[in-house]
Amino acid sequence: MNVVPPALARLIADLGRLPGIGKKTATRLAIHIMRRPASEAQSLSRSLGELHGAIRLCGKCFAFSETNPCVICSDSGRNRQLVCVVEGPGDLMAIEKTGAFRGTYHILHGALSPMDGIGPDEIKIEALVSRVRKDKVVEVLIATSSTVPGEATAAYLIKRLQEETPAAVTRLACGIPMGMDIKYADELTLSRAIESRKNTCD
Amino acid sequence: MLLKQAPAVIVQVKDHGDSDKIVTLYTLDEGKISAIAKGAKRSKKRFVNKLELFSLLNVSYAPGRTTSLARLDQAELITNYPSLHQNYGQYVAASLLCELVLFWTREHDREDELFQLLTWALEGLAMGVTSAQLIIFFHVKMLEILGFRPLLNGCGNCGTLAPQAAPYRFSPMRNGLICGQCEHAPSGPGLEVSMQTIQLLRKVQELDICKLPRLHFSKAAILESIALLKRYDSHLLQRELQSWNYLQQLL
Repeated sequence: MNVVPPALARLIADLGRLPGIGKKTATRLAIHIMRRPASEAQSLSRSLGELHGAIRLCGKCFAFSETNPCVICSDSGRNRQLVCVVEGPGDLMAIEKTGAFRGTYHILHGALSPMDGIGPDEIKIEALVSRVRKDKVVEVLIATSSTVPGEATAAYLIKRLQEETPAAVTRLACGIPMGMDIKYADELTLSRAIESRKNTCD
Repeated sequence: MLLKQAPAVIVQVKDHGDSDKIVTLYTLDEGKISAIAKGAKRSKKRFVNKLELFSLLNVSYAPGRTTSLARLDQAELITNYPSLHQNYGQYVAASLLCELVLFWTREHDREDELFQLLTWALEGLAMGVTSAQLIIFFHVKMLEILGFRPLLNGCGNCGTLAPQAAPYRFSPMRNGLICGQCEHAPSGPGLEVSMQTIQLLRKVQELDICKLPRLHFSKAAILESIALLKRYDSHLLQRELQSWNYLQQLL
């Protein structure tokens, strides 16, 4: 006998499709939504319903945005000659949170992964090269992850940008995290930190 | 539970949930295995930098009790072949090596020779050996180890291998060649292969791997060999290996 009302079961199934949410968490969330006032559930459902209609990709940097160009691309206080290339919107948010970067972004929406059928044509590489050429970008900061696909994407981008554009290409530094004792750093990170050492007179 | 230890190459990595990874390893002791690395995405000590594609590791793992999924306990990095991440051509070739091992092998099917061949090929790529040629060497030797050696010593119908009988076609359905004179025999769609390519591929089959770098394939022989091996894969695996297309784009 099914004791869960069909409407609640549907909601549990829908919530269970979200990343990191199993059946137990989905049930807890669904019961929480049901216990709260109906207005809260309606507001949530409105937000979900409007999501795809309201949000589109920025035509310049390919970030999710309600406007085209997005808030960052249309901000006159930003340095448009400096473009930071990231793999996904989550990376953009992480860099923005630092407050240390005042340039603009370019989101690739993935990293090169031949085994998964993702090559240069499947991510926004062509758009980046033409944007760098068209907007006379002075510096491109490659901020892809330090994973194998991220590194390979960076290597591919560095080669293409150096061959096809006059922009200076820089790579996000890789080294020891703040507050870490050197003796606990792994060999790979430590050797990378030594390779990317910086002249203190600069 | 007793932990097993073995040298292993990572041939596939998938994220699992918010903090775990599922890795497919080709181990020396047990062939291909899949293992879950709990907390690997957030780990700052145990797995940091280690569970990356192509890495050669010494792993400790607990075999799964009810499923074939093992639990990865520890990993010690031997090498991560850094140059394979810093060159797109080498990255594509190494991805193809891993994809071949991933789809041509079964779990827990031990093949010591294949493990040695895989590490030999990854090392060769990392040292800058021509990617396409190395892929051909690896593929031909892998087929031999796994018992799928294509017959290239003559026409599958009349047995001849002579320039007069050319053009030869490679038929995956017949697991070998068919000469111009026997072509009327029903053998399915074949792929034309020159005598030079046939001789080179036979040499790869015969020679020991340490002597393979002495062989030199012309551009035409590389293109033909890769088309032949790709067709053979599609026929026997009944699926397209994604990395072939990216490798062909680079040739």
